[in-house]
Amino acid sequence: MTPIRVVLVDDHRMFRTGVKAELAELAGGSGPNAEGRQVLVVGESPDVDAAIATIATEKPDVVLLDVHLPGGRGNGGVDVLHGCAGLVSESGAPIRFLALSVSDAAEDVIAVIRAGARGYVTKTIGGTDLLTAIRRVADGDAVFSPRLAGFVLDAFGAAAGEIAEVDEELDRLSAREREVMRLIARGYQYKEVAKELFISIKTVETHVSSVLRKLQLSSRHELTAWAMGRRLL
Amino acid sequence: MAIPYERRDDAALLAQPRVVRPRSGRYLAGVCAGVAEHLGLPVRWVRVATVALAFAGGAGIAAYIFLWVLTPAEGSGVVPEPARLGRGPLLGSMTPYAVPSPQPAPSPSPTPVPAPSPSQAAVTPVGERPARLLVLGALVVGLGVILGASKLGVDVRAGILLPILVIGAGAVIAWSQLDTAQRSRWIGGDQGARGMALARIGLGLVLAVIGLVILVTRGRSLTAVWDALLATAAVLLGAALIAAPWVIRLWSDLRAEQAATVRATERADIAAHLHDSVLQTLALIQRKAEDPHAVSQLARAQERELRAWLYAGPAGSDSTLAAALTAVAHDVEDEQGAAIDLVVTGDRPIESQGEALVRAFREALLNAVRHGRPPVTAYVEIGAAGVEAFVKDRGDGFDPETVPTDRLGVRESILGRMERHGGTARVRRLDEGTEIELTLPPLPVPATASSSDKEPS
Repeated sequence: MTPIRVVLVDDHRMFRTGVKAELAELAGGSGPNAEGRQVLVVGESPDVDAAIATIATEKPDVVLLDVHLPGGRGNGGVDVLHGCAGLVSESGAPIRFLALSVSDAAEDVIAVIRAGARGYVTKTIGGTDLLTAIRRVADGDAVFSPRLAGFVLDAFGAAAGEIAEVDEELDRLSAREREVMRLIARGYQYKEVAKELFISIKTVETHVSSVLRKLQLSSRHELTAWAMGRRLL
Repeated sequence: MAIPYERRDDAALLAQPRVVRPRSGRYLAGVCAGVAEHLGLPVRWVRVATVALAFAGGAGIAAYIFLWVLTPAEGSGVVPEPARLGRGPLLGSMTPYAVPSPQPAPSPSPTPVPAPSPSQAAVTPVGERPARLLVLGALVVGLGVILGASKLGVDVRAGILLPILVIGAGAVIAWSQLDTAQRSRWIGGDQGARGMALARIGLGLVLAVIGLVILVTRGRSLTAVWDALLATAAVLLGAALIAAPWVIRLWSDLRAEQAATVRATERADIAAHLHDSVLQTLALIQRKAEDPHAVSQLARAQERELRAWLYAGPAGSDSTLAAALTAVAHDVEDEQGAAIDLVVTGDRPIESQGEALVRAFREALLNAVRHGRPPVTAYVEIGAAGVEAFVKDRGDGFDPETVPTDRLGVRESILGRMERHGGTARVRRLDEGTEIELTLPPLPVPATASSSDKEPS
């Protein structure tokens, strides 16, 4: 199996070094993480412009993207996402972005997700979880941290009991999506969610991807208002 | 608020001594000594001249009082050495000056003397005009008073002293707020102080007018009052015209200083906060570098504190359920030194049921942190259907049935408490870890249960 080619974009060199070492140790060894695709860090860049150039030349599968970056038009990770729109990886699949940030501010979360990131995790994430997240994103699935799930529930009014009548409705979550989001917010892994709801992991991933699509496409007013007026803590 | 690197002293400006009333060698207020030093004349001459002028219709007294009010005492500002004259004698730099940025030039002044623009005055060493204008103004006022009085044939000696004192008192009151010490309070800029300043100016003006009227109309009939008022108005107008450019510049300088002070204050606040919090924690972390548990505990607590400071804390006040649950989670984190990933959606006001939930939630968190394995996740959903709180850990789990009866934690503090308050509690054993689920029914008033979620707080 070909390894997942990863580009690291973060303006803190210490953080890049740490992540690189951690990924190399986890994915390169023969431990329980050895199964599944290997992860190979092929490039790293400290700011928006360098990131766009690196991504264009390296054509990685996954970009680990910091939300706050210097350069570009001042929008950090969002600028990188816009600058790399339409690029494909060496294998021909679209380049996937996983947002990685210390910031839990809702406006940051919503901005990178709506700009096209496939997931959002905080920098305090453990190495194993990060590896899982990278593999998941590389497969085209979405990665939701408990916090992001809570945000989605809140922003879509699902916590207040609003449920979509049809799954295709963009402004509300379906009952099943809400259940999945609730379990993720409660700290369940995808496989635990699947077991809890008596569905397959693949179905869980489908639901999460569908929520991500709604998050990216929804014009729900509360979504932006919520992100502007509040910050996740 | 003196930040050294923001203050800029021009050597050229320092060369000019400003009129300062010395602390030593003074008889009354040190005006004569100050003027003598400034003009380079022997003190005695100045004193004799002042006294002589005082007998010439009180002009000396008037000039003396004006100079008293308008010149700072030595060492009254932060800068003890004579600073730039161009700033005007009152502007001993109490607050830091940024670079002499071009400030709004004073509006076209009615005086024949071209008003020195602030930037000009700050850069060129020729900035003596305001000081000269002041002396000139004092002389003109004194002269006007004498002339007016002698023309009307008023007894100059005794009759003039009292009105002049009144005028002087008015002037002192009006000008006293520009004393350096008071100026900082003015810059402090709360509305009360500003109103006070206006009241002072008004009072000073009224006193000055009364004094001038008395001065001019002494022993005259009421018909003379009209003329006297006109004369008074003319004198005041003259004084105002002379003072105008200086006042305008003073005002624009004040605004610039105010802005600089605000910036410096903010900066100092941030610096102080970082010093008290982040730097202290970093120092502690370095000292405890060999104890990973303590380091992560410190880092976590500091992170939370900094987040709360940067983002102004969780939405809502302390009296809401979400805020109370968040506070409890932070308490447990601090106490046990373990990270808790808490997600709260929705909110509602806290009542007795909510308080019970908060206490049970705390027990559940403690239980998870002590007996489970990280990561500990907590999710609370406060919505129309009630409150649901979940605390999950990744430990080996435990069977609630096998918990010994002396362990009050789970049985009494969590299960019993929730049931007594109309809620439920459930302990679930998962494949990996344990989950405690707490629920509360919705609030009796349906309107309040879900409303707070939507409000931008």
